[in-house]
Amino acid sequence: MTSILMEIWQKRSLVFALALNDIKLRYKNSFLGFLWSFLEPLLILTVLLFVFTHVIKSTIESYPLYLLLGLIIWYMFSRSTSMGLSSLTDNAHIIQKIHLRKEIFVLSSCLTGFMMMLIEFAAFGVFLVAFSFIPPATAFLFPLLLIEILILSVGISLLLSIANVYFRDIKFIWQVVLQAGFFLSPIIYSLDMFPSDIRTILELNPISHLITIAHDLMLYGNLPAISSILYVLIITGSIFVLGCLVFKNKESKIGEEL
Amino acid sequence: MSNEIVLEIKNLSKVFKIYHEKNNTFFEFLLSSFKRSKNIEHLGVLKDISFNVEKGKMLGIIGSNGSGKTTLLKIIAKILVPDSGQVSITGKVIPFLELGTGFNVELTARDNVIIYGLLLGFSKKEILSKLEKIIKFAELENFVDTKLKNFSTGMYARLAFSTAIEVDPDILLVDEVLSVGDESFQQKSFKKFSEFKNNGKTIIFVSHNLPQVQELCDDVLWLKNGHIESYGEPDKVIQDYRNSS
Repeated sequence: MTSILMEIWQKRSLVFALALNDIKLRYKNSFLGFLWSFLEPLLILTVLLFVFTHVIKSTIESYPLYLLLGLIIWYMFSRSTSMGLSSLTDNAHIIQKIHLRKEIFVLSSCLTGFMMMLIEFAAFGVFLVAFSFIPPATAFLFPLLLIEILILSVGISLLLSIANVYFRDIKFIWQVVLQAGFFLSPIIYSLDMFPSDIRTILELNPISHLITIAHDLMLYGNLPAISSILYVLIITGSIFVLGCLVFKNKESKIGEEL
Repeated sequence: MSNEIVLEIKNLSKVFKIYHEKNNTFFEFLLSSFKRSKNIEHLGVLKDISFNVEKGKMLGIIGSNGSGKTTLLKIIAKILVPDSGQVSITGKVIPFLELGTGFNVELTARDNVIIYGLLLGFSKKEILSKLEKIIKFAELENFVDTKLKNFSTGMYARLAFSTAIEVDPDILLVDEVLSVGDESFQQKSFKKFSEFKNNGKTIIFVSHNLPQVQELCDDVLWLKNGHIESYGEPDKVIQDYRNSS
């Protein structure tokens, strides 16, 4: 296990270079392309804001910031896992020609998702200034949350990428799961709005906890509940370990199956 | 010349599973678990292969299509895992199975060379120090920051070949890639191969171009249906191969 980590650590410049190239390609080296990464969430934000402040009146405090923060977190998770999922099949031409640790492709995909989130986070900064909102001191804990989401994304991607090598429709199934997940996570609403029995069911979703923690840290200055933190860490830990084990087990056969 | 053995292959076998009904989707998999028939055929691609290659030698591998040449190279390159047998390698192997593996046409020549070098396992520093030499060998000095999509096929091939050759492997695996490029570039490549051998590097060369193999290689291995039909002097093996077909 540690030797694998060492080997991957030695390949970190490759992981970064792949992720950076991915970002470059995505934005086609152009300024407007870069701007798009702001415009896309902003556009969705505008629509959601309109619906939930004018059509359905939301009572959540600092709602625009609440909404944007949830969206950014959700996008990071959904992008990282979707890109991670297809990372092995997308790079089949390389995997079949050069011997490499295949985790590298999964990692660099998740890193691309992370970098895109950082860009969007700059947009969040602009919003903070526009609303002259000063985040509470708990915001300093925010990076820890981001790392936790990154690890969860990598764990899920390790599992899904292998599954996608064997069954090519996993990609479409995961898109449906993500679509459902968007509405089952407290992005446009707050968990407080529900009676406790429905709330208990919604809280089975680890992303629910992560987004609530994000809101608490960045907007409301509340420290997250210990039970919440423990739940998230246990889920993340078990998915990550399972992902590593499955990946290690199947890695040598990927070259033939692709 | 020293007789140090850099590549040793012992009793190597590889079987491919051929699925007649491959379940490519999860739904098909669920459906098929209700059915009983499992149609898998086993195809022995390599059967009990053993040979050694000495340092500084160039080994040519010949054989008809489907005889297992590429599979053998892929196993030496660790891309495929053998079912039984052993492969021991001394030194760094650079697989060159295809021109421009990992090249992306939307990126510049510089970016592509860097990514390719990183994929082959070099550090960024090592590649940057070699970048100039690579570009020079490829005769692309004026196109370093041009996107590959604006390259001609020949330019693309030259860049790919130069990158692979300049990264300085101990063992170079070459699969059928020299057919590209014009006459003068091919001559240049051959010169590079001789230079390689003189520096004690080992080359394994798969080709259908028999005169080329005869001219370049020290030994020739003839694969037929996954086993070694003949191994030895190029002139003799190639003569036998020609007579058989």
